[in-house]
Order: sequence, then structure tokens, then C-alpha cells
Amino acid sequence: MKELKFVTKVLHTKFLKQDPHGSLHMPIYDNVAFEQKQAEDLELAFQGRKPAHMYSRISNPTVEDFEQRVRAVTDAIGVIALSSGMAAISNVIVAICQTGDNIVTSKHLFGNTYSLFENTLKSWGLEVRYADLTDVKEVEKLIDDKTKAIFLETITNPQLEVADIKALSAIAKKNHILIIADTTLTPPYLFKSKDFGVDVEVLSSTKYISGGATSVGGLIIDNGTFDWARNSKLRVDAGKYGPLTFLNKLRREVFRNLGACMSSHNAFLQSIGLETLHLRVDVSCANAQALAEFLEKSGKIKQVNYPGLKSSKYYQIAKKQFKDKLGALLTFDLESKEQCFKFMNKLEIIRRATNLQDNRTLILHPASTIFCEYDASLKKEMGVRETMIRLAVGIEDLEDLILDIKQSLEALK
Amino acid sequence: MKLKVNGKEEVLVKTSVSVKEILELFKVEMPDMVSVQLNGEFVKRENFQTTSLKDGDEIDFLYFMGGGSN
Repeated sequence: MKELKFVTKVLHTKFLKQDPHGSLHMPIYDNVAFEQKQAEDLELAFQGRKPAHMYSRISNPTVEDFEQRVRAVTDAIGVIALSSGMAAISNVIVAICQTGDNIVTSKHLFGNTYSLFENTLKSWGLEVRYADLTDVKEVEKLIDDKTKAIFLETITNPQLEVADIKALSAIAKKNHILIIADTTLTPPYLFKSKDFGVDVEVLSSTKYISGGATSVGGLIIDNGTFDWARNSKLRVDAGKYGPLTFLNKLRREVFRNLGACMSSHNAFLQSIGLETLHLRVDVSCANAQALAEFLEKSGKIKQVNYPGLKSSKYYQIAKKQFKDKLGALLTFDLESKEQCFKFMNKLEIIRRATNLQDNRTLILHPASTIFCEYDASLKKEMGVRETMIRLAVGIEDLEDLILDIKQSLEALK
Repeated sequence: MKLKVNGKEEVLVKTSVSVKEILELFKVEMPDMVSVQLNGEFVKRENFQTTSLKDGDEIDFLYFMGGGSN
């Protein structure tokens, strides 16, 4: 049969073991331990020599089924579902780096990711080198023999910057280092990271995949493209486990020991969310494009940022990488922080909350919330302005969203 | 031929056997999901048929439960 397309694959990926009752959804295995018939079977399972679940922190049938469905649509070698997107990032960095190693990334990142790198991992001996990831030459200058990876966000949050991923991947490959992409704003269906040379994809599945903010979760997607013998920390393991070296390191050490597993309840919700991902992506991206165009034409906004606007300096590269779906996040600037707050408080439909790709449209003032712990000069470096509002566009009827924004803009007069 | 299969001594009447045949012979569960180590080294899936075992070899079947396979 011809290779199935994304949605069909999501809906018809077979269970690894047939459900005894013929359930169409993998049931929620809301238990902790799994029994083996013989002590010898338990020994083999612990050695990884028998395909059996033992303990739900390590693996669970419901979580595994969700992982298998993501694997099927991403064409990855392996997928691990975790408790959050931040857990996914921290697990990956801990698995590939050791004291004295460095990663190259940008200060234009999600605030918590920057905090993880700068405040949490630096004190454990990780050096974090910051570059403008849209300047490939600048990135390459920072790579040395201690560099383990380039870390990027496919669309940065909230700067909405878009780097040339294939160009960064070429540099990573030339220098035999990993390229890790946080695809939270461009999840599978919208963007296939493997086609752009990304080795490892991380994302917060809380966002699009969960089906409208039903649950918190994260994913590590190993595209199976990296030669792990090139990573000094994993070199010895690479001889034994080949392309599965990274998954082995996570499953049998880092992921197991850090314990940031996804619950079976969340896996069930996220698995159902995955089935309608395409519908929500299509509507929210179309809404975001229309709202960005409306705001730009309104003449009442200082500045509108959205990669789908021709005025965006990332328009061309964003189109090349994400085609006609350029994410559902946009930002715009008003005259002052006070004006931003006034605008936000007047909204009747759009909700004041911190999340992305809820089914509802959410609004946030990044400088006073996600980035509140950083001083003015760092905020400037991070591209976070006091005058900037972030709009995470949902799937409501577009006309209603426009009317809500219109009446709120009127109130600014 | 003497082999160590998943840490257990086994004796085969056959004098030549491939990784693929071993998987069938030992009725290995979920063969699409298994990874194979021969004498501690990883064997690529595309080489299962052409990789032969010899007397004294150690072969291990490994699983990465929850979404991992080569």
C-alpha cells in the first residue's frame, strides 16, 4: 500500500499488542507496576531483553502508544513522552553534555528555556554561547571541540524570529555536532523537522498536540540522523547501541533517573488531541494570519510581528520552511505598557492567560510575566519590549476575534 | 554450535545461522521492535540476514520500551 499520509497514520497506527477487547483507543493503564509470570522474565525485562513494561515511571502502555503514534507521523527512530516541554529540553541537554561542554543558542528564546540554560545548567558546568542564529557565520565562529549542539526554536517565542534551519543544520553536520530544534510553535503536521536536517526535536505537547490545553506534556523526537560516535559523552555507547544510543541513554539512565515521565491520563488526552491536530493547526494559523493583517492595516498599532506578514524580515524563510501555516502566535506593540494593559483589560472574548494554542485566543504582556525576572537591559537583548503584547491565536470564529480587538482598540482613544 | 542467547547458554544443531534465523528460532517477541547486539556490538537491521553467527558468539535482544526501534 502507498505510504499513508499524516492524519491517516495518526488514526490507524496499530497498537504494539492487540487490545483484548478491541478498543479503538489505547485504554488508560492507570497503574504503576506490571507483573511477570516468572522471576526470570522480570530479570530479562529489567535487562531490556524482553519487551515488557515494569514500572510506569519508565514505560507504560498508554504512554507508549502515544509515543508510537508520534513516531509514525514524524518518521523518527524513537520518541519519548515526558511531563512537559521543559522536561524534554533538560533531558536532552543532560544526556548529551557534561561539565565543560557548551551549546550554541540564541538569547531569543522562551523565557523558561533561557532560565534553564543560564540559571540551572550553567551552575552544573554547561557553557552556553549566545549568537544571532539568523547569522550562520556568527554561529559557526562560536563552535569549538567542546560544542555539543546548536539549539534553536523554529519560531522564537515571543520574538517570532525564524532562522534558516537547513543552513544551521549544514554547519552542525560539518562540525559533527547535534542540531536540536524546539518545534513547539510548529509541531509535526505543520513542520517535519527531519526534512530540514534536525537531529533531535523537542516540543511542548501541552500546546497544539494536547487538543486545546487539556494536559501538560513534552516530547523528545530522535530523527535517527546523528552519528552518536561523534559525541564524546556517548562515544562508547555508540558501539553497542548504534543509532539507538541516545534513546538508550535516555531510557536507561537520564529519563529514568530524572523521573519526568508523562502520566497515562495525559498520554490518553494527548493521543486524542493528536487526532485533530491538523484541524486546529489549520484554523489557528489562518486566524493568526488574518488577525496580523487586520492589525497591520488598522493603523492603530505601532508595530505588528508575524512571520506571515510580507513586512516581516523572516517572511521568505518562514514561507520556505512552513509553507502556508506560519504558526498561531503574533505580537504587536502599543505606545506604552499602560496602553498594553488597558487594551488587554478591555477585551471581552480574548482571555488574559499564559499559554499557546489553547483552543481559545490568549493574550499576554511578556515583559511583565514570562520575562519579569530579567532586568531591562537583558530584556532588550532578549527582544522583549515593555510595549509588546503577545497574542496566541485560537480557533474561534475570526469575525468575533476581530470585533473584540476592534472594540478594545477603540477604548485606547 | 554453542551460543549465549540473552545471557543463556544454548546449543544448536545447525552449524551456520544468521541473526534473522535466530530471531525466528527463538521466537523473539516483537521482532520489528528488537535491537540486536552480537558480542556487544550493535547489528544494523538491514544486516540481520547477512550476519552469521559462529560457535561461542553471544547475542542479545534488546528493547527500548516506549517508542524506539531501528
